[in-house]
Amino acid sequence: MIRLQNVTKIYHPDIKALNKVNLHIRPGEFVSIVGQSGTGKTTLVKTLIGEEKVSGGKVIVGGWDITRIGQSEIPVLRRQIGVVFQDFKLLPKKTLFENVSFALQVCGYPVKKIKSIVPQVMKIVGLEGKMNRYPQEVSGGEQQRTVIARSLVHRPKILLADEPTGNLDSINTNEIIDLLLKINKFGTTVVLVTHNREVVNQLRKRVITVENGIIVSDQAVGKYVL
Amino acid sequence: MFIVSFLRVIKFSIQDIARNIWLSIATIMILILALFSVNMLLTVDLVSKAAIESIRNKIDVNLYINPSADENAILALKAEISNINQVKDVTYISKDEAMNIFQQRHQNNPEILEALRELGENPLTPALVIKPKNIDQYDSLINALNAIDNPIIQSRNFEDHKALLEKVNNISHKVSEAGLIISGIFILITLLVVYNAIRVAIYTHRKEIGIMRLVGASNWFVRAPFLFSSVIYAFIGVLAIILIFYPFLSLLQPYLEAFFIDYQINLISFFNSHFLYIFGLEFLGAVAINGIASLIAVGKYSRV
Ligand SMILES: Nc1ncnc2c1ncn2[C@@H]1O[C@H](COP(=O)(O)OP(=O)(O)O)[C@@H](O)[C@H]1O
Ligand SMILES: [Mg+2]
Repeated sequence: MIRLQNVTKIYHPDIKALNKVNLHIRPGEFVSIVGQSGTGKTTLVKTLIGEEKVSGGKVIVGGWDITRIGQSEIPVLRRQIGVVFQDFKLLPKKTLFENVSFALQVCGYPVKKIKSIVPQVMKIVGLEGKMNRYPQEVSGGEQQRTVIARSLVHRPKILLADEPTGNLDSINTNEIIDLLLKINKFGTTVVLVTHNREVVNQLRKRVITVENGIIVSDQAVGKYVL
Repeated sequence: MFIVSFLRVIKFSIQDIARNIWLSIATIMILILALFSVNMLLTVDLVSKAAIESIRNKIDVNLYINPSADENAILALKAEISNINQVKDVTYISKDEAMNIFQQRHQNNPEILEALRELGENPLTPALVIKPKNIDQYDSLINALNAIDNPIIQSRNFEDHKALLEKVNNISHKVSEAGLIISGIFILITLLVVYNAIRVAIYTHRKEIGIMRLVGASNWFVRAPFLFSSVIYAFIGVLAIILIFYPFLSLLQPYLEAFFIDYQINLISFFNSHFLYIFGLEFLGAVAINGIASLIAVGKYSRV
């Protein structure tokens, strides 16, 4: 599903964020990527969605070589990958429903389809009862669940979550992780970037550890080893 | 799907304008100023053309004839002048006709008419009124007329119409030049202001744009609302200038009529008969200028 071959990313002028990274993630996997701050985890996520071009190596997503992807193809890629970042990128003046439907609106979906898809994904994340609230009227966990709902509207094969629990307390964190596991059970490949030792240790799933742009360990049932 | 997207682009565009309403208003104001100066330029051009035309019509050369001259000699002279290359036509105005014209011209002035009556006889001289074919040949016409040596010619009145014409020409050129420069400056300012407005609109919407890109909105969908905003600016600007310029023209009209006493000039009917041409072209021009400005802004700032 995801394959990195000798991927190197150098930021101007000479910051080596990724250094010859090789990685293979199979369809349906749940993979945690851990590592200290500034080791290149976010950069890795960005290369997968075409936001950063790699300086060397090859990035293949779903059999598609996106290494030298054109500007006009990026939207096609983005509709196949759901992305969740740490800072909840919700629009404060729109309700949760409107926030999720925004993603479909801007991709040209007709109103009828939007009205059927949005309640479905809101139900998946357990927010079908709060769709008409504004972001500031719900908890941080519920905001992040809305972001996850939004990332699911295109039924992506891959969900990338970059520190989705970074701003949340432990209860909300567990809710989000449970939600990611649920989405993974539906068959979606989930890549979770996290700092959280307990989360990783409880998961008992594959763990990839990154250090200074290099993968230093890759365990099938891993622990947080730093 | 395309129509749905297009309608959404329009909706987003109107939201963009509304969210920065004061900036939008200021932008449209500048656009209106630019359009106003362009229309002013056009008006000045029309008026000066009319002025030149009216002077051209008035330009004629009078040859005054000795009152005691024989009718046949006068007709012979008329025929001779008619044969000059540069002459369009020659009219013979006899003593009596001159009198008629004089009385008609001063019919509202009883004192002059009274004085004339007291004089007892017709003091006016007959004349040959010569219209030149082409005003540019005025000089050679004068030379040709000067060359005629005929004793029945009492005096020659060659007013220097040409100098006047040149003056009007000069003034109108200078006014047009100034207008062109002012319009150019306004157009340049419009470019900058529209560019800035779109830049600010993009900045205000950076979060939306970021989300759009993240969820896979196409590039054109991200950019189209901003480009469309510039079309809306152009549309409102031209609409406003139509509403502003017609009252302005009707304010101007009486002054023009007073100035061009015996020459028909009607700016409003000119603008009416060329309405689509003038304002359509101005709309297209405004769309082009705004489009360029917003394209540059969008290209530069909408990569999130
Ligand atoms: N846009 C950028 N320009 C320059 N350097 C960057 C940029 N983004 C990240 N970096 C640098 O690349 C390194 C890796 O960053 P990042 O991938 O964000 O790490 P992580 O997500 O693991 O904290 C850091 O040293 C960071 O300063
Ligand atoms: Mg990071």
